Amino acid sequence: MFHTSQLGQDVLTPSHAINAVVPDATDSPDFLNPDYARVLALRGLVHNAKKSGQDIFTLIHPISAVEPDCTVMEVAELFLNPNNSKLLSLPVVENGIPIGVMSRYRFMDMYLKQYARELHGKRPIRLYLNDKPLLIELDQPLAEAAHHITQNMQFPLTEDFIVTRHGKYLGVGFVMDLLKEMEFRMRAHADELNKAYSSLKSSQLALVQSEKMASLGQMVAGIAHEINTPLGYVQNNVAIGQELFMQVRTMIVGYEALVDNLLNEQASEVEIAAQMQYISQLRAELNAQEMLVDMQGLMTDSLYGIDQISELVMNLKDFSRMDAAATEAFNINDCILSALKIGRNVLKNKVDVTTLLDELPKIKCVPSQLNQVFLNLFTNAAQAMDTHGTLMIKTWYADDAIHISIADNGKGIPADILTRIFDPFFTTKPVGEGTGLGLAISHQIIQQHGGDIQVTSTLGEGTCFQIHLPLAVATAISPTLN
Amino acid sequence: MSKPTLLLIDDEERILRSLRMLFFTQYNVKMTTDPQDAIRILREEKVHVIISDQRMPVMQGSELLRIARETSPATMRILLTGYSDLNASIASVNEGEVFRYLLKPWLGDEVKKVVAEAVSIAEASFAVQSQVSTSPVIRSTQKPRVLIMDHDESTTKIVHEILEDRCEIVWACDAQHAMEELAKQDISVVISDLMLGDTNVSYILKTIKQLNPQTQCIVVTSFNDTSRLIELINQAQITRYIAKPVSRKTLERNLESMLERFQMLGNQPALQKRQSVAPIMDPHEKQLSGNFMSLLGRLRVRMTA
Repeated sequence: MFHTSQLGQDVLTPSHAINAVVPDATDSPDFLNPDYARVLALRGLVHNAKKSGQDIFTLIHPISAVEPDCTVMEVAELFLNPNNSKLLSLPVVENGIPIGVMSRYRFMDMYLKQYARELHGKRPIRLYLNDKPLLIELDQPLAEAAHHITQNMQFPLTEDFIVTRHGKYLGVGFVMDLLKEMEFRMRAHADELNKAYSSLKSSQLALVQSEKMASLGQMVAGIAHEINTPLGYVQNNVAIGQELFMQVRTMIVGYEALVDNLLNEQASEVEIAAQMQYISQLRAELNAQEMLVDMQGLMTDSLYGIDQISELVMNLKDFSRMDAAATEAFNINDCILSALKIGRNVLKNKVDVTTLLDELPKIKCVPSQLNQVFLNLFTNAAQAMDTHGTLMIKTWYADDAIHISIADNGKGIPADILTRIFDPFFTTKPVGEGTGLGLAISHQIIQQHGGDIQVTSTLGEGTCFQIHLPLAVATAISPTLN
Repeated sequence: MSKPTLLLIDDEERILRSLRMLFFTQYNVKMTTDPQDAIRILREEKVHVIISDQRMPVMQGSELLRIARETSPATMRILLTGYSDLNASIASVNEGEVFRYLLKPWLGDEVKKVVAEAVSIAEASFAVQSQVSTSPVIRSTQKPRVLIMDHDESTTKIVHEILEDRCEIVWACDAQHAMEELAKQDISVVISDLMLGDTNVSYILKTIKQLNPQTQCIVVTSFNDTSRLIELINQAQITRYIAKPVSRKTLERNLESMLERFQMLGNQPALQKRQSVAPIMDPHEKQLSGNFMSLLGRLRVRMTA
């Protein structure tokens, strides 16, 4: 009455489980056994179990259950059967419903007593069983099943658990298998979590880096233009100057020779006439006076251009101060002015900038990061303007904090996206043009400075960003942003 | 004879003053920081060459050059900019149809050379313009031929839809095939991606004008490389740059106008010079182009034989 052929496998993988419950007709002599119907039913379940990911399924051993009217002696035989040596207990099932479990431990306890065989041997097992077996439903998640079992199992562990489907007996499972499987999963999960965590961390770093590079790229392109313009005329002016210098030198040589000859009493009239002819020819070719006046203007222009270039380079240096440690105190107004200079090429033809910068106490901050925030806000503002617009930048000091307000009169941000603008990857720009990280990173930078950034916007009227930075920055400033 | 006129536009006066010094001895130099003023000058005077900055308040250089194209079609258009921005470059091809896209800082001798070339072409153009009404329009009886150099079949499909049987349409999938087709010398319009499989075909595009200065070249690509585009403007005189995916309407409009231009240049060979190309700079491309030209010699011999 026992179908035990598949027992003795300790760890059952899903494929083993399938083998266990789907015996081949040829090597299973007892397929006419009424239990075979259950095996068939189980075979149907294999499929479903695999589909729905039923965890318990792999743990089932389809042990034939003991009927409650079985005698104690018959049960003793079952316990002695070597095929059952792995079973801690035998399930007792009546009309398909498990009504209890008889453990080897309990059985021995009873049977070791004097005259036990004689007293109890012929009695039904029903009278001795534990009527509160460990029951697990097939579709219970593994974690829940494990929780249920660990809460209810007895020490020492003397029983196996019974698996049911809709309350009907399916088979038994070993508690150790369940716990092993559970541990295995937890370890796998922990590994997965670790992996996911480290990949998230590295992609976050990569993204922050790429946003930095994107804004850096924009900035570099802008700066290149700013520099190329003065460089264009300075270089050209110098080249022109050099050529003019050569011409003027030739002329001076000619004049000097003439003067020398005029002072030389032995010089011939013919020679002097030829020199004068030569000089008047040079003069016809080059209006030196006029050219020199023009050239003087070009020199002034060139010096101006060189000043422009050096100023840009200085700004760039100020701007990109990568001194990560916020040990020095800076004036936020300087950061704003520096960002304005760097952003000049985006702003200059499009935006009228008004600044109302109050006296501010210096605060400890990472200027390169704050510059990035301000530049980001300024360029966003410029991009929000379809035509010419205005940008109003105010700073003031109140309540131990520095307040910055940056207001534009651009097209504004619709209410439904206003709440999302600080979300990473949120962008309204076409694919490839914005990373959607600019404001997210700005937000993070301000937070790391212990401050906060808020936005208000009215469609068609404009947008205002408000930043508050506390004077005392308690929070450590993250090095990941540098 | 009066000096040819140059018109310089830049929002930085110092650029204007500096350029003026380069040119004022040979040319009548007009300069302004105001594009509107430039448009007025174009309307009122004969301007041989206009040199404009790209980024200016009020109006972008490519836009000004587009207006110049309409106002004074014989004037040669040059862009001189310190900012190589992709959109600006695309606009300068498609709208401004610039003769050269020059970068700041510039080399005086080079700019002088380009301007001298542009001036002589403009003079020829003005001459043609004055007699244009008298010359009869000859319609070629031969079917125009369009060559498509693109791996992507959809481009060819769209072209077929647009042209149906008005033109002979040839689809080349690799560089060798494309070169052979071009060697037959009667291509009106080339529609090309910048890559054919793994081959960068820029060198083919840069050689096209040597084969037939009448051939018009439309680049259809998803490549977004500003410096490559600038090269193609100067060294291939591509006349359109269309980003993929291509809409049928855009391609249709541009293809029609290029077919028309091919026809027009057939009637006015003097105007072909307006699309003279600058020499190829990249040594590798130069060599490939040279190989192509010698292949061409061999092919033509074979064909005539």
